[in-house]
Amino acid sequence: MLFSTLNPLPSLRRAFLALAISMGALPAWCVASEALLLQFRPGATNVLLHGKDAAQQLLATAPKADGSEVDLTRTIAWKVEPANLAVVDSSGRVTPLANGQGSIIATTPEGQSASLPLLVEKAEISPPINFANQIVPIFTKNGCSGGGCHGKAAGQNGFRLSLLGFEPAEDYEHLVKEARGRRLFPAAPERSLLLTKGTATLPHGGGKRLETESDDYRLLIRWITQGMPYGQPNDPVVTKIEVFPTERTLPLNGEQQLVVTAYYSDGSLEDVTRGALFEPNDKDMAKTDSLGRVKVFDQPGEVAVMVRYQGKVSVFRGTVPLGAPVATLPPAHNFVDELVFKQLKKVGMPPSDVCDDLTFLRRVTVDIAGRTPTDQELEAFRKDTAQDKRDRTIERLLASGDYADYFANKWSALLRNKRTDGKQAHGTFAFHDWIRQSLADNKPYDRFMREIVGASGDVDENPPVAWYRQVRTTQNQLEDTAQLFLGLRLQCAQCHHHPYEKWSQADYWSFGAFFSQVSYKKGERPGEDTIVHRRGVAQATNKKNGQAMKPAGLGETPLALAADEDPRQSLADWMSRPDNRFFARALVNRYWKHFFNRGLVDPEDDMRDTNPATNPELLDALAANFVKSGYDLKWLVSTLASSSVYQLSSTPNQYNARDRHHFARYYPRRLAAEVLYDAVNTMLLSQSKFDGVPAGTRAVSLPDNSFNAGSYFLTVFGRPESSSACECERSMDASLSQSLHLLNAKDIQERLASDSSRASRLAADTQQNEEAKLRQLYRVAFSRDPQAGEVQFALDYMGRKTKSAKDDAAKTKARREAYEDMVWALLNTKEFLFNH
Amino acid sequence: MLTIPGHSQRFCDGLSRRNFLRIGALGMGGTFLPQLLRAEAQSGLGSSHKAVIMIYLPGGPPHQDTFDLKPDAPAEIRGEFKSIPTSVPGTRICEHLPLLAKLADRYTLIRSISDAVDDHSDFMCQTGRRKQNQPPGGWPSFGSCIAKVLGAADPAVPPFIGLEPKMQHHPYNDSGPGFLGVGSRSFRPGADAKSDMVLNGVTLDRLADRRALLAGFDRFRRDVDSSGLMSGLDAFNEQAFGMLTSSRLLKALDIKDEDPGLLARYGKGDAKVHGDAAPMINEQFLVARRLVEAGARLVTVAYGFWDYHGSNFSNARNDLPLLDQGVSALLEDLRQRGLEKDVSVVMWGEFGRSPTINKDAGRDHWPRANCALLAGGGMKVGQVIGATDRLGGEPSERPVMFGEVFATLYHCLGIDVNKVTVPDLGGRPQYLVPDGCQPMRELVG
Repeated sequence: MLFSTLNPLPSLRRAFLALAISMGALPAWCVASEALLLQFRPGATNVLLHGKDAAQQLLATAPKADGSEVDLTRTIAWKVEPANLAVVDSSGRVTPLANGQGSIIATTPEGQSASLPLLVEKAEISPPINFANQIVPIFTKNGCSGGGCHGKAAGQNGFRLSLLGFEPAEDYEHLVKEARGRRLFPAAPERSLLLTKGTATLPHGGGKRLETESDDYRLLIRWITQGMPYGQPNDPVVTKIEVFPTERTLPLNGEQQLVVTAYYSDGSLEDVTRGALFEPNDKDMAKTDSLGRVKVFDQPGEVAVMVRYQGKVSVFRGTVPLGAPVATLPPAHNFVDELVFKQLKKVGMPPSDVCDDLTFLRRVTVDIAGRTPTDQELEAFRKDTAQDKRDRTIERLLASGDYADYFANKWSALLRNKRTDGKQAHGTFAFHDWIRQSLADNKPYDRFMREIVGASGDVDENPPVAWYRQVRTTQNQLEDTAQLFLGLRLQCAQCHHHPYEKWSQADYWSFGAFFSQVSYKKGERPGEDTIVHRRGVAQATNKKNGQAMKPAGLGETPLALAADEDPRQSLADWMSRPDNRFFARALVNRYWKHFFNRGLVDPEDDMRDTNPATNPELLDALAANFVKSGYDLKWLVSTLASSSVYQLSSTPNQYNARDRHHFARYYPRRLAAEVLYDAVNTMLLSQSKFDGVPAGTRAVSLPDNSFNAGSYFLTVFGRPESSSACECERSMDASLSQSLHLLNAKDIQERLASDSSRASRLAADTQQNEEAKLRQLYRVAFSRDPQAGEVQFALDYMGRKTKSAKDDAAKTKARREAYEDMVWALLNTKEFLFNH
Repeated sequence: MLTIPGHSQRFCDGLSRRNFLRIGALGMGGTFLPQLLRAEAQSGLGSSHKAVIMIYLPGGPPHQDTFDLKPDAPAEIRGEFKSIPTSVPGTRICEHLPLLAKLADRYTLIRSISDAVDDHSDFMCQTGRRKQNQPPGGWPSFGSCIAKVLGAADPAVPPFIGLEPKMQHHPYNDSGPGFLGVGSRSFRPGADAKSDMVLNGVTLDRLADRRALLAGFDRFRRDVDSSGLMSGLDAFNEQAFGMLTSSRLLKALDIKDEDPGLLARYGKGDAKVHGDAAPMINEQFLVARRLVEAGARLVTVAYGFWDYHGSNFSNARNDLPLLDQGVSALLEDLRQRGLEKDVSVVMWGEFGRSPTINKDAGRDHWPRANCALLAGGGMKVGQVIGATDRLGGEPSERPVMFGEVFATLYHCLGIDVNKVTVPDLGGRPQYLVPDGCQPMRELVG
């Protein structure tokens, strides 16, 4: 099964290698004619099959002139010479028949062919079986050790396996020793409960997981026959896995076979393609099968396939280009444009044009200031003829209090500034104010983070301690810190090895040790805490094995801290180190999503190798420049908003309507609950009334979540409750309740019909003619003037409504009702509801 | 526009709904009629989607005075009620549930729910979980999970409808979508959505005008959005307009057209709000049946107030016959409509009540034992699962967890609790039921 690279080489193998090398003129890691490559691992020049169980998945690839590579593995004809040496099946997998050397030859239907040297040795010998390396992966692959079955903490119907086989020693205990050994029956292996259940010969809740004719089944039989060996203590263990290829450009509806190689601690390698699990990160883009084949659909974009084997992961990235000609591009304003356009050219997706001035003004005002532009702003912007008026608008908005309000609203939810009873209002108001002031002052982001994570004292003197009120346990503190500031979801690693990541329980608890000395004392005010550093050596107990873990940054060596050092300062030091791989990237990605409505990594707080960025170069450049700027948030906002990419029209051209990954046009998004609430008030010319804050307070400036309970509008449009560090808590879904509310809420209808409403004022206004009033209404709603057809449509409506009125009083009433209808209709349009 | 059972609603101008329907159809002529007809055409009887009706009895009814009588216990525990035989030999229930006694072959009783908590809340009955150690955002309710996992069976009808009114004791109605977010919330025509469902200050004609105006203004290109949200919004707007004019959902909620005989069979119940919980409106059971028929996947009903700390027996003498009539009518109706295999019914409260009778002739909270009634959904019926001891104090056979009942109901809906997960706010895939809970073999084995 393993083909060893141990010395000394057996003589046959030496001769074989000499032969392979003597073939001299071949490319570095393939043996091929001009347009056909046979490959399976970077650097491998020949196939060695060692032992009866050995196998090797092969790839046949045709490189094309445009740089793409087409997978021919399943369409090509494979053969082995001499034929008695080995056999290649139609999926390109070679298995041994007899010892000897020869070659594998692949021929295309067009007659092109290529070959690889082959050596088969010890084909008659089955090496002893190692439980962890060979048996456990069978359970993982067949779903036995999944979280819904035997892999959950309590097991299933008394039989327990470790989740995804992360703990082979435990699995061995459960399988071989537990239940008085009744699960395995060496005297008649096929009668073992493990197999009769797995093949559903006996009733099995999980159904049939194993075929009696499969390699897996035969291997299990052999293992039981051999007396269920665990393996030797010095048997090799898997140190890493690598998928090949790691990147490929695939045509629409194309497919790609993957090869997965396990690297063992003794230096040996093994093809584990059939034992590995494959999972695409975007199931609308691609699907995988158990043989390691990736099939992409009719959707251009980027897709990553996670490959998992024995707790190790590796990633294949597929790019599915559209391949349209990109003739012209908008001007590149900064490096964001350069890197996005570079990718658009590569994937052949022409961007939409840059949007018009007023569309830009509405878009950027919503995204930076959390409101729609005023009539004055529109007018001023329209009159401004300077080249840099868009840039100056961005700077003006960033300098305004509205920017601080809007982003404080965002951060306040993520920092869980939650009020669960009235007594906490002092703290939540203070914390909100602190967040807002920090943003208004443009406090460097690393300092912002340090002042929260490292907060000590009382909420009066140091408001960010309020973060610790909602985030109370070591686990919550480390998980929120990771998710919010590092873009990492570590939750899984509390109880078991992270299924999509390299993080283990040891990593989890070492990271948690930074918070081990946080201590709560009764605060000055009722309901508030005072946070102090409890003197002592920072350490946390790994729940898995009871080991005391010293604090360590993720992927770093543990720190030895003195008892009087607050470990949270060391944590902040580590996070804000310029070479930290997570901190700056997480923030720029979070802000990217704010402005572009989809993260470069999405979800924005699930950054991992197995969920890569759609444009990694851009993410790296943003992070590096953000660090260089001194963690300057306003610089970041300005960089993003001033890019041509941000200013692209949302209207698709003939190519980019289905683009979801490359930002070839602006992706519209529904206004957030608070912004929409304020915009509706602006439309109605009415004032908000929230308990405990002055009338007219904008919903984006509300200090905490407690106002949701009194506002069905905010609740139903998804304002978050500040319960988690996840942006996903804000619901952007549509629902029937929302539609009904906006169309028919009593409260909105009353304000619409009130004497002070915009409709009644417009109706009463005798200074302007109806068309001028209509134009004004359109500007308030859509930040643009109506087109001629729209004006006519509205005037016709007005005419129809007022036509039958008998006298002036009736006419006035009809006119007012017509305006009510128009205000109502405008605020129910998509153009109003969306930032576009 | 719409009649919420027990609360008759009329338009502000005094027209009845039927008049409005007529005006609506005339006024909107060609626009809505085909749509209406299409909706009608789709509303075949016995539609094959699976659904659940959950009847929640707030306050916790006495298990030993309803479905788990203890005739052999001493008088101070046994209480005043006698047991009567049922259609299943050997199974006896309370003398005040005679109609349900005749139908005992149509349902299964669980007498040994063992993990109730002493907390006046629907939380356990909606989630099967404890309130402690919830993930951020909180556990989603059963209905929210169904809505998330299965979506709508019919685009015109929300998958999860809660008929309960807003109950005064907040925790009776506080179980929400949790970490699944407001998109998976129940649609509550009797509570928070109620005022939005009645036209507010405009006539149907004016609504039609407005709708035409909106169609004229709303010219924004839908193809700028590839996320599906815009088209989703359009679909919900359609639904909402439908609800404000006439629609399948509205029709389902409105029982005016039902056969008077059937209405009489369900009974009126009692429209008065009991205690700090719910009224006992029997028409709700009929509405629930109509809603699952129209496409809802879960309809929840809260019924009465069962926190009998005093006058246990006189309260029960009043309440049980109403419940008996309504629930027995529902079970018969489901069978007659051919829905029995597709629609599961579960009825329970948050806990049982104390064996001993207190000085006020009441029974106090008793989370150590609780019972439930399960029917339909293809479950094996006519059984009694589990038992409590001689005094009705502790489960003595086959202790059952709330989560096992949910696992069974998910199974009846075609959802595999061992495979399906929903992501929480930390991105962790969460299973729908607590660890170790499987569909009950006695019911669906």
